[in-house]
Amino acid sequence: MESLHSRIRLLWIAQGAIVVAVLGAALVGVDRVISAIDVPVAAIAGVIGLAGVLAVAYAVRLYQRWQFELQDDALYLERGVITVVETAVPFVRVQHVDTQFGPIERALGLSSVVVYTAGTRNADVRVPGLTPDRARRLQDTLRELAIESDTDDAV
Amino acid sequence: MNRLHHLAAVTHGLQRALAGLFVATSLVTLGTTLLEFGSASWTIAAAPIGFVLGGIYGVAYYLRYEYEVTDTTFDVASGVFSRRSREIPYRRIQNVDVRISVLHRLLGLAVVSIETAGGGQTEARLNFVSEAEADRLQREIRRRTARATGSRSEAGTDHDDARETDLQGDASATATERTGTETPASADETVAGTDSVSSESNARNHSVGTQSASRTRHDDRTRSLFELEARELLLYSFTSFRPALGAALLFFVFIAIDPVINHLLTVSQPIGGPADLETASIGNYGVLTLVSFAYGVIITYLVSVAYTFGAYYGFTLSRAGRDFVYERGLLQRYSGSIPSEKIQSVTVTDNPLQRLIDYAGMWIETAGYGPESGTGSQSAVPLAQRDRVYEFTERLTGSETPQFHSPPALARRRYVARYSIIAGVFVAAIFAVTLVTPLEQWYLAAIVFVAVPPAAHLRYVNIQYYVGEDHLVIRRGFWRRRTTVIPYYRVQTISTRRSIFQRRLGLASVIVDTASSSSFSLAPPTIYDLELEDARDVHKTSRNRLQRSLRERARDDDLGLTVDFT
Repeated sequence: MESLHSRIRLLWIAQGAIVVAVLGAALVGVDRVISAIDVPVAAIAGVIGLAGVLAVAYAVRLYQRWQFELQDDALYLERGVITVVETAVPFVRVQHVDTQFGPIERALGLSSVVVYTAGTRNADVRVPGLTPDRARRLQDTLRELAIESDTDDAV
Repeated sequence: MNRLHHLAAVTHGLQRALAGLFVATSLVTLGTTLLEFGSASWTIAAAPIGFVLGGIYGVAYYLRYEYEVTDTTFDVASGVFSRRSREIPYRRIQNVDVRISVLHRLLGLAVVSIETAGGGQTEARLNFVSEAEADRLQREIRRRTARATGSRSEAGTDHDDARETDLQGDASATATERTGTETPASADETVAGTDSVSSESNARNHSVGTQSASRTRHDDRTRSLFELEARELLLYSFTSFRPALGAALLFFVFIAIDPVINHLLTVSQPIGGPADLETASIGNYGVLTLVSFAYGVIITYLVSVAYTFGAYYGFTLSRAGRDFVYERGLLQRYSGSIPSEKIQSVTVTDNPLQRLIDYAGMWIETAGYGPESGTGSQSAVPLAQRDRVYEFTERLTGSETPQFHSPPALARRRYVARYSIIAGVFVAAIFAVTLVTPLEQWYLAAIVFVAVPPAAHLRYVNIQYYVGEDHLVIRRGFWRRRTTVIPYYRVQTISTRRSIFQRRLGLASVIVDTASSSSFSLAPPTIYDLELEDARDVHKTSRNRLQRSLRERARDDDLGLTVDFT
């Protein structure tokens, strides 16, 4: 089983920080706009601090959990903190494969591979936190495996 | 290239003209009220201009909308300013639907929709063509789809003899029965004769033989598979409840709010309701709320009975070649064809009432988007006796009679806990209500806890699964119980989920995703709360059997479905 690049934790912490910032802004907004409700500064700081700690812990735990593997017949992934999900995506079901990166990912030098199937619920499976080189290789491998195992149209 | 029916020019023109009129008058209103620009009298000039421009656009849209049935694709070219030309390969077509509304029926018109698995909406909607043209399109597309899927396995091989039989069969309907019976035999001979040469070409040869056989034998002729009898239609109407229609009813309530409230007031007053809305006690309001709710439920039920009756009146399912063709509807007629090789899964549904009288319905799921509820689910047998429906399902999918397994009893404990929490939240909410109103006996609400054990039990007993040789059968749900038969061949992804509560109890849920486009409200087939070991086992078995069925299918191109299932 392969783990993600350790820098992915920074990405998740950054994403958590954004959520925490929005939460803080909402609390401050409530304090300012609704005159009847007076939110103490200590409470805001406490909530933000707690949320920040939770976000970091979540990111660290998610990184520990996240694993993937190219097995004989399928791409296999294990992930999740509160709900652990193990997914198998058979190569023959792969419709197309993307590599993607957002602004924070790019700054961190990371990239994601997104595997699309014709399914409904897990129609796109994302493997984040790969170096651009690893992402490219994974994409190539998956593409080759998908072509190799293609027997009939999937849908 | 073909155009839509010429009346479509009139309706498109009128529709767009009215839209143009609306846009023009709104622009003037916007200008005068918000920007203080222009005057209201401009409407007199703007309205006709908008109307005419819209009308011209509508007619231009009609003139620029063209479609064509070519040998390999169905082509649609459309658009006035930005042009779009779309080619749909026949073997990607999931289903073809024809919808004839009341007005269309009077004029002999029909709307044809062609669905593929891609995209979030209908790929081609011909709005509208003549009924005869709709029929022709449905037939042509079916014929060409059958040929496309047939010639696909032929590609790169040299089986001209098989192909010739094909063409003959297509060309002359009289010779079909004879060539049909001969072809499989000759194909079998070829297989036997060249057995040692190349197994791959054998498989292809064989598949061409059987496919052309089934096609020539039934080309363009339909065979009835199922007809909904009057008794079944009535039972189906009276046992189905469509809550979605309740939402539609609310809309009418908003339109006619005053008469509705007056009526509710007169009805509820004798049994303790308020005399009018201004002067009333809390108790009066409570009675009024209960009466309104009961009214809503009863009317929704009556409307849904009428709707179901109208929608499924005269339901027939038949087959044409390898396609299923259904027809239904009293006022608005629906008909559609579904290629059997596009079927992803088959689901048997029943609600508590239908279970009580031992009836059930059967649905087939494709990856397209059907006319109803925006999913690829099509009713194949709306309602029939349960044994018959299960027999149909087994014959259609070729699955064995399921020997259902249940999750461990530990799972039931989870549901008790879950429903207790819901009941607790309910009681807390009632308590909050008593704080701000003169009502006091909030603890009476605790009676809902009585419902918790039976609810948990009913949820638990309705979760069952069966890991078959070629199929996975998953049953879940109480109010609308669904028993889905998924061929391993159709499995897209398999996931095992364990929430934080499940991990504590050592349970896991297995989600088997197929390409059938279920809506957001319906989760993909899931086996809930198995023991982790069993879940892993189901997960692994499904994966292995998917690979096995892929190999098998590559070998003998077996469809895995029996078209004549009734």
